[in-house]
Amino acid sequence: MTSVPIHAEVSRREPAGTVARELARRLQSAEPLNATLHWSQSALDAEAARIATLDPASPLYAMPLALKDNLVTTEEPTTCGSRILEGYVSPFTGTAVGRLRDAGALVACKANMDEFAMGSSTEHSAYGRVKHPLDPDRVPGGSSGGSAALVAAGVVPAALGSETGGSVRQPASFCGVVGVKPSYGRVSRYGLVAFGSSLDCISVFGRTVDDAARVLSVMSGLDPLDATTVDRPAMAVPSPLRDLRGLTVGLPTEYFPADLHPGVRAGLDRTIAAARELGAEIREVSLPYSRYAVPTYYIIAPAEAAANLARYDGVRYGPRRVGSEGDIRSLYRATRGAGFGAEVRRRILVGTYVLSAGYYDAYYRKAQAVRALIAQDFQRALGPGGVDLLLTPTTPTPAFKAGEKTEDPVAMYLADIFVCAISLAGLPAMSLPVGRDQGLPIGAQIIAPEFEEGRMLAAAGALERVLGAAEEVR
Amino acid sequence: MSIGREQVLHVATLAEIGVDEADLPRLVEQLNRIVSYVEQLDQVSDAPAEPFLAGPAATLLREDVVAPARLSRAPAELAPEFRDGFFLVPRHGAMDEG
Amino acid sequence: MTPWETVVGLEVHVQLGTRSKMFCGCSTAFGNPPNSNVCPVCLGLPGALPVPNAHAIRLAARAALALGCSVHGRSVFARKNYFYPDLPKGYQISQFDQPLATGGAVAFESPERGRMTVGITRLHVEEDAGKLLHDRFPGKTAVDLNRAGVPLAEIVSEPDMRSPAEAKAYLTTLRQLLVYVGASECSMEKGSLRVDANISVRRPGETKLGTKCEVKNLNSFANVERALHAERARQVGLLEAGGRVTQMTLLFNAGTGQVKPLRSKEESHDYRYFPDPDLPPLVLAPAWVKEQEHELPELPDAKRERLIASHGLAAYDAGVIASEQAIADYFEAVLQAGAEPKAAANWIINDAMTGYNESGEFRVPPVRLAELIRLVARNVVSQQAARKIFPELGNDDGSVQAVAERLELLQVSDTGALTDWVDEVLSAHPAEVARYRAGETKLIGFFVGQVMKRSQGKADPKGVQPVIVGRLG
Repeated sequence: MTSVPIHAEVSRREPAGTVARELARRLQSAEPLNATLHWSQSALDAEAARIATLDPASPLYAMPLALKDNLVTTEEPTTCGSRILEGYVSPFTGTAVGRLRDAGALVACKANMDEFAMGSSTEHSAYGRVKHPLDPDRVPGGSSGGSAALVAAGVVPAALGSETGGSVRQPASFCGVVGVKPSYGRVSRYGLVAFGSSLDCISVFGRTVDDAARVLSVMSGLDPLDATTVDRPAMAVPSPLRDLRGLTVGLPTEYFPADLHPGVRAGLDRTIAAARELGAEIREVSLPYSRYAVPTYYIIAPAEAAANLARYDGVRYGPRRVGSEGDIRSLYRATRGAGFGAEVRRRILVGTYVLSAGYYDAYYRKAQAVRALIAQDFQRALGPGGVDLLLTPTTPTPAFKAGEKTEDPVAMYLADIFVCAISLAGLPAMSLPVGRDQGLPIGAQIIAPEFEEGRMLAAAGALERVLGAAEEVR
Repeated sequence: MSIGREQVLHVATLAEIGVDEADLPRLVEQLNRIVSYVEQLDQVSDAPAEPFLAGPAATLLREDVVAPARLSRAPAELAPEFRDGFFLVPRHGAMDEG
Repeated sequence: MTPWETVVGLEVHVQLGTRSKMFCGCSTAFGNPPNSNVCPVCLGLPGALPVPNAHAIRLAARAALALGCSVHGRSVFARKNYFYPDLPKGYQISQFDQPLATGGAVAFESPERGRMTVGITRLHVEEDAGKLLHDRFPGKTAVDLNRAGVPLAEIVSEPDMRSPAEAKAYLTTLRQLLVYVGASECSMEKGSLRVDANISVRRPGETKLGTKCEVKNLNSFANVERALHAERARQVGLLEAGGRVTQMTLLFNAGTGQVKPLRSKEESHDYRYFPDPDLPPLVLAPAWVKEQEHELPELPDAKRERLIASHGLAAYDAGVIASEQAIADYFEAVLQAGAEPKAAANWIINDAMTGYNESGEFRVPPVRLAELIRLVARNVVSQQAARKIFPELGNDDGSVQAVAERLELLQVSDTGALTDWVDEVLSAHPAEVARYRAGETKLIGFFVGQVMKRSQGKADPKGVQPVIVGRLG
């Protein structure tokens, strides 16, 4: 598998058809990864034919794009990695995907994922786990593991994932690719199957910062079909900075624990050194409430999910089962009991519990209040008198082995320890591959103030130039 | 605060998810694990009154125009059971307002 | 005198009169084929999102203002979570602890206590559920989601009513106000107004409320009253037998007049309300709220008072004219065309209302009614004749006078013609003539009446009398 973005290889005169054929070849050879859920030659050909009618100067002309399978399209099924939506073909396409298509992007496939985006390893897909492209015994991360793997394996130059608690940054770090989460409200969620509505963000994987930035720019902007989008102009693609002079970069102490994995530490040391060399001023900052991010998240996200997943009841779409009683209640219980996997079921039950009578104040209301404290930490650190950007590890370890964390649900949750707080605060953040430790990719996380994606991507572009993503860090 | 078996069954009923008797002990254990993990928020005492609001401060509104979003496949094609224009579900049950 | 005090509170749901649904652009039109007014949003498809209808908010705000409520500058949408086949998302988008409006009052005439007010606890907006048909297919329930997502306003009253009749009177006035400001059609038959009644009983003088029960499935104001009587009787019967009232929901059966508990409700609902994360707060600028207040029409009570004060109308007449915006508008138009107010009111109440009640419109253009009133005032036609002319004025295009001529109803004041008729009458009634000449001067009325009959109403009654007197000497 080559690591060169295929759309760059192809002549602009007959791009779409050639790209489609090459894509099919790569998708075929990537089958062992189990990273895709739906793709077909006919779908690729249809995309190619559609793009051939567009202006070749379109921003994403013939750029192949994998879509996480929780983004609805009308051409192929959208299963969200779940049995409860097996065979479901949406009768509408979402806004973000529509904008990308209009800009010339070629939808390559639907990518495998943790069921309903709940997970950090893509081991919770009902359609089998995804294998890490560099080591099949390891996980690519999750929940957007399929999208990450496809970019890492060179099948596509970019892919869409979604983030609720770090589900793009974390797999990006594990797989050694760029993963960018925009500010909440920057990209329309119309067409993204909801998990945690106040947290969900369509996010981007790319082989380069620039590819990810271009995709994000096309998708972003107010959507009258999504009341949570903000009224700001679409994000402009920034030019990468030549150096980081004049920029202050903060290192939050809570994100550099003493027992940090040595490979991760080495990768971050390397990145901090590079930032210094480029002229950035490095400062220590503190985000004390970040330690409550994961428990806060695991109250709010399941609560919202419990309500968002109530619509999967076998009445109007999807496969249906009816229990032995033969009544409406047994329709619900059998359909949902059989259709949801164990992790989804756990989260729905937790979410229902924390919203239920007598528990709402102690759990849900409390979590929303702590969330405000976590957000305030960031506002203080990144605000006036603070720093321009924050730099942290993306994940506490490199990619772990399949089966290592599936016994204890909380162990899996802790994989998100560095990415979660940012989701709660609604801020933009990204993971940049900064090297490898014994062959496994290490990622550094850059966090920007609200709506300052441009600053973050420009700085990342500068670092990308000097840091060899495939180099060993120690 | 620990969650008992009855409570788990009650929550499963609220969420309309069927749980096999065989799965129940493990499920109770896992839910207790998760809930006791998130309970550490009890340690936080100085939380502000106003919850954090993600996104815009005010909702956008739409004009009262009939402009339905197009469906490329009709309800009949999506439905597990459909007849004469109606979605069908089993009739009798605990919810029946006889 | 019954030793029990009845306490009633009502929850009313009205469909707001918008063209499109509350959170999507589907049509709200009634009577379309099932599942034809649907889209990803109101079908609850994966990936769909709600966006609120500005006009629904406007109508709800106007309704709230008409009910004397405070409209809050910031309110929050909340999810009400439960499973039912008519609820596509498995939750209803409603409002919970931060509703659109609170703290109003409705003044009305209680049949028992005269003029009184009922407090309005709150008014909030929410979406309607779909419709279920249980008997269309054997063993199945059919689901139609055309109605899912239609905008509703829920209006909750304080438990201020003390009898079923009072509840009915409150509902009548509530409906009048909502129709007046154009918030809703409020038709119980069409389902655009639904009532759930809460009722409890207690000993007079007791300040604590008794356990209340909820009665549903009420499809007319009369049935609300009947159902409350039935439930009151059930609760009193229970308590007088030494039992206790358990909180429950009951359905009213209009055929039998009985109330029956809802079958096997396993547990009372835990709706797990929380703010809907798909919808940021609804923020309404004070200037916008003021504007809605300004744009409210003059409300019935104020209008009635004004008609009495400015035009000297009788209280009853003023009440009828003010009872509906359309009637009041017609009245004003007739005045604008130059008619005298009391006459205009009389004509509307006695003659125009029948047609209006049947067809929903006033067929006679206001200028023509005004013209007719003028003709009567000038004695060109008699009042009696005018009442025959009136129904024709909706059809005919000619001048009112021409219509009168065509119908041969122009008043005859010519003494010669009058004398001819008088002579005919007097010669036909010699006995009465004799009695009159003997002193029964009251018989003049009889003779006038006979002349009117003989002239088919055309004789000018004012001219007839002196002719008769003259003839009889």
